[in-house]
Amino acid sequence: MTVAQPTTVMSGRYQRAFTIAVLFLVAGWHLGGAGGQLLHNRPAYGSFAFQGAMWLVMAVAIAAGSVQVLREAPGWRWAWAIALIALAASTAAAAASPASQMLAVEWAWGSAGWIGVLVLLRRRFSELAWFLAAEAVAILFVQVHDGLTRTDLAGFLALLAWSTGAQVAVAAGVRALDVAAGQAAAATRSEHAARERAATAEIIRTARHARWLTLQESAVPLVAELAAGTADPGDPQVRIRCAVQAARLRRLLAEGDEVPGSLVHELHASADVAERRGVAVDIETAGSLPPVPGPARRVITDAAIAILTVARSQTRITLATVAAGIAVSFVADTGAVVGLPAASEGVAIEHQQDGGMFWAEARWNSG
Amino acid sequence: MEQRVTVAIIEDHPVVTEGVASWIRSDPGERVQLVQTARDLTGLATGPQPSADVIILDLELSGELVTAQIPGLVAAGYRVVAFSGHSDPAIVMETLDNGAHAYVSKDEGSDHLVEAVLAAAADRPYVTRSQARALLADQRPDRPTLSQQERQALLLWFQGMSKASVGRRMSITENTVRQYINRARAKYAATGRTASSKDALLARAIEDGVIKPGEIVPYQSFARSAPDSPSPGAPGH
Repeated sequence: MTVAQPTTVMSGRYQRAFTIAVLFLVAGWHLGGAGGQLLHNRPAYGSFAFQGAMWLVMAVAIAAGSVQVLREAPGWRWAWAIALIALAASTAAAAASPASQMLAVEWAWGSAGWIGVLVLLRRRFSELAWFLAAEAVAILFVQVHDGLTRTDLAGFLALLAWSTGAQVAVAAGVRALDVAAGQAAAATRSEHAARERAATAEIIRTARHARWLTLQESAVPLVAELAAGTADPGDPQVRIRCAVQAARLRRLLAEGDEVPGSLVHELHASADVAERRGVAVDIETAGSLPPVPGPARRVITDAAIAILTVARSQTRITLATVAAGIAVSFVADTGAVVGLPAASEGVAIEHQQDGGMFWAEARWNSG
Repeated sequence: MEQRVTVAIIEDHPVVTEGVASWIRSDPGERVQLVQTARDLTGLATGPQPSADVIILDLELSGELVTAQIPGLVAAGYRVVAFSGHSDPAIVMETLDNGAHAYVSKDEGSDHLVEAVLAAAADRPYVTRSQARALLADQRPDRPTLSQQERQALLLWFQGMSKASVGRRMSITENTVRQYINRARAKYAATGRTASSKDALLARAIEDGVIKPGEIVPYQSFARSAPDSPSPGAPGH
């Protein structure tokens, strides 16, 4: 679902560009086309002031419609309110034109139609068709009222074909471009998803390869020795080596699990083999622990495995937040000092032997 | 021999009561005497005198946490040692803040419960590992400031070292380790809500030289310095 986000945004951006193009077309027509005609035929109108007022009403309707469509697709109430205001204004302007030359000096029909295109652009196509038809019927009604001659009818049909045809063509064109943008976005989306799948597969493959290498180094030679009979399962040293490898295998599996508190999770996995051997392992945390990077976790769990493997009956593992990181400590009845991994990856290790009890602390600093 | 410390056990599981009673009986010095057991707090005698010096209180009775009842018990003159399966640091801190002398988790019972009861009877701090954990995890804004040494001693003790080992690690005597840990605990007695048990702990800590009155003053919350509230530095005992 997250991958859909950028492509949806992209297709939305295309749609906005088309909207702005239509907006310029409508405003340009009203200003240049309709406005020019209005000024040009100025002496012909009975009341130029009234025509000018209607022109302004429609200009306001265009401004309101622009705000609506730029915000988001307007709801039917807003869209139709603006469209009907334009229809009323254009009909009033036509009705107030001189009866004999209405079609010649009529400027508002085109603008009203374009306003309809602007606000109904992203609504059902039939709504625009109904609006344009209503607009044509209104003008025809005015013309019939004024007296309809054969010439007038021909002029009306010519105007209808020209203006409505252009408006329908633009609306259909934008609709087609919207569909194309949606398809382009969908194509990008599936490409994005495919890339992500490939990247995930690569990560999994690398992780598997790393695990395989780890096993090659340690577990495989041991199994080979056991199979060849050169390692004796009765030998305590061999048993310790087996326990260490078993714990490492469990940790390898745990490392792949994406869980909060990965370190605690991996310590539990590392402790599993010792617990099966009858060692009581107790893991406690103090404070909210910071996340520890993978390589540092591995140094810490290596120390844990080394200690848990030789613990006789009990091990206490604690994790505590300290000034700039985390202190993981181990107290176990190992009976002797345990060889621990060298400090690395920002992890420092200290230890102390007191009688049969062995204490060690691995401190990771984030700094 | 001095007078034995009397104790009551409030615990809803009879088998746990029996186990605690057996720890008390097996104390070599027989320093503690069990005088009462009850399955809930209503079973506790509410006379003018407390029926025991110390109460061992299970924090969860019949499925309900009873930490909020501790101030009432303290006001009635009991010293409370909480004994609980809950080890959540927030519950431990609430228990101590409400005036319990000590907190012993059920895992720590056999090693620490009798000692914690004896320390409580003498108004001395007793810090178990689970308590040390809660103090280390405490992030509340009004928590007392612990010194580097106090924190380190608490940390090593929480980690599972014996106090002697902590001393060797820090190059100090075992006694000094106790002093650091107890001082950290005493600082907590000077913060949060007021309770006579906390005043008693502090007074005893000053008497024992664990903490100096001057070390307490800065940790007193201004919110509680109303004229009639007892000053933690000079408890009314």
